[in-house]
Amino acid sequence: MGENNAWIERLTAQGKAKPGRALERSGAFVSGKHGRFVTDGPFAESKEAIGGYLLLDVETIEEAVAIAQSSPGLAYGGSIEVRPVAEECPLETRARELAREEKLATV
Amino acid sequence: MNTQNQNGYMLLFRGNDWIKGLSPEEKQKVTDQWMAWFRRLTDERKAVAGNPLEREGKVVSGKNRVVSDGPFAESKEAIGGYFLLDVASMDEAVAIAQECPGLPYGIRVEVRPVAPECPVASELKREAEFAVL
Repeated sequence: MGENNAWIERLTAQGKAKPGRALERSGAFVSGKHGRFVTDGPFAESKEAIGGYLLLDVETIEEAVAIAQSSPGLAYGGSIEVRPVAEECPLETRARELAREEKLATV
Repeated sequence: MNTQNQNGYMLLFRGNDWIKGLSPEEKQKVTDQWMAWFRRLTDERKAVAGNPLEREGKVVSGKNRVVSDGPFAESKEAIGGYFLLDVASMDEAVAIAQECPGLPYGIRVEVRPVAPECPVASELKREAEFAVL
């Protein structure tokens, strides 16, 4: 586990990683209107369970993927999802596109 | 499960197919509500960070570090974004999650306590302590 901390410290020192977090294995799922359904999560044994995250300050997905590939934890199985942070919520972008399309259609 | 936590909580917004079938007006409404929600939480200093995530990405897995495209297209599990909350109890974090404007449309919000360190590291330390006894 020392490897993991050293890895994160190195990335932070290089200015490539901003603070991330580890997550406890407990938690809850909220769903339904007004979030009326609150259930315990099946977090213990699950391929989809999320253990934590790291926020990277790099310019390309290639660089982000290379950093992910250098994670010491991968040697023991598990996977890392690499996602670009959106400037604005994709919903907003899509809503704007649709509004534009609609304007063009009515011309 | 501990109901208090001084390290805060994370909200993970799960599912990206919930906006299908919404009209442009509804999508705009949800987006506006969501922005206002996040702004309010930030003003109240209850949310310290949050980001939406693009829908594409990669998955790196295994000791061979294989890189594949993510199956992000239509999924109930796909993560659309997160909030990092600075609140002290699970109840408060869940109450905030219940305000999510996407809930009536089928989004699920995962609420997780932030750990001070990786749970695996904590377990190893605890096991080591027991071994010494």
